[in-house]
Amino acid sequence: MRDTIDTLEAQPLGDDHWIAVADFCRVCRLELATIVELAELGVVSPSGSMPAEWRLPATALSRLHVASRLMRDLGVNVSGVALALELLDVQRDLERRLRVLERLTTRGDDL
Amino acid sequence: MEFRDYYQLLGLSRTATDDEIRKAYRKAARKYHPDVSKEANAEEKFKQVQEAYEVLKDREKRAAYDQLGASWREGQQFRPPPDWDSTFHARGGRGRARQPGAGVEIDEEQFSDFFSSLFGDRGMGGGPFRGGTRRPRAGRDQRARLQIDLEEAFRGATQTVELQQPEIRPDGTIETRTKQVRVTIPAGVTDGQQLRLSGQGEASQSGGRPGDLYLEVAIRPHRLYQVNGRDVTLTLPIAPWEAALGGSITVPTLGGSVDMRIPAGAQSGQRLRLRGRGLPGNPPGDQYAQLKVVVPPASTPQARSLYEQMQRELPFDPRAELKG
Repeated sequence: MRDTIDTLEAQPLGDDHWIAVADFCRVCRLELATIVELAELGVVSPSGSMPAEWRLPATALSRLHVASRLMRDLGVNVSGVALALELLDVQRDLERRLRVLERLTTRGDDL
Repeated sequence: MEFRDYYQLLGLSRTATDDEIRKAYRKAARKYHPDVSKEANAEEKFKQVQEAYEVLKDREKRAAYDQLGASWREGQQFRPPPDWDSTFHARGGRGRARQPGAGVEIDEEQFSDFFSSLFGDRGMGGGPFRGGTRRPRAGRDQRARLQIDLEEAFRGATQTVELQQPEIRPDGTIETRTKQVRVTIPAGVTDGQQLRLSGQGEASQSGGRPGDLYLEVAIRPHRLYQVNGRDVTLTLPIAPWEAALGGSITVPTLGGSVDMRIPAGAQSGQRLRLRGRGLPGNPPGDQYAQLKVVVPPASTPQARSLYEQMQRELPFDPRAELKG
């Protein structure tokens, strides 16, 4: 059965958008205790005092999705996930800088 | 449809023990996991590995799969036997999301038609009928990656996303419903940013509210620009005399060409900033022009003569710092 609906406006979730930790648990399929551990390791920076009432920036969604997948698919523990995320950030940054530098060293007609 | 040799996919013999299966899965999952792998087609291979493990780790499914016999080969045309046990079917499905046309789909729980023909659309870890509670549960959130061009991120765009969602018929069987959603993407989205479409995820199977659809923006690599958040970097070739003397040159930006001043004595690798010329936002990103001095070839007598004149008359030693 095929169903077409009208054009919908996507809501961009930027760094000024904060989401309740319960929604993070649901969307990223993570236990609250896991998010608390990840926060203790500096992976995410919540606001609020009690973990159940925390709010997290929407920009943490991607990080926690990756954390959730690595834990579920590879059996990585919380400390391992925190390390993996940090190394992935470093890798991405280095790759981006490498691409810029590669463009500097290629011949002009290759641009 | 094509037969999937799950044992071959995980590099196992048909007599593999549960422990051997688990170890083979862990090894293959580490190799192909799309969040960490640099292998070609890692996402596709990872799905195949997950699918193989989903069957082989489950004794009931593995036994059913083994009943098909050992004579099938990977990729061989396949139809389930007419007497195939249908008890695997109608256990509920998982939603799928894809972007028709140019986009790349992402759905970590999407298995092959081969899997569906044998075991239904059941994905990892159970379907919508989780748990025994009668309390209405919200529908599942769905996620997809939305690939767009940098120009679309700059100006905004409209994309169509096709969603396949399970729906329970009145007789209790599951039907997969295909829904197309046209999504307006606002200008200024960044790579990796999440977009939310409230209530566009899977319907609740127990009277709860529908889930949300989350789209992760992936900006395709661009011919000219490197993107970092809202900032973009352009490698800008300049002539040696432009670098030495400075001057005004025309530079492309996402919003159109602008004139930019090159300071006298500029060098290759130097970065110049065009404030606010990156992706729009609050604040907007900047465009960086990374200078690249391009040396013209001495391919004509006149060019050669000019280089020889510089050699004679310029007191310049590029290797002065190397001398003790």
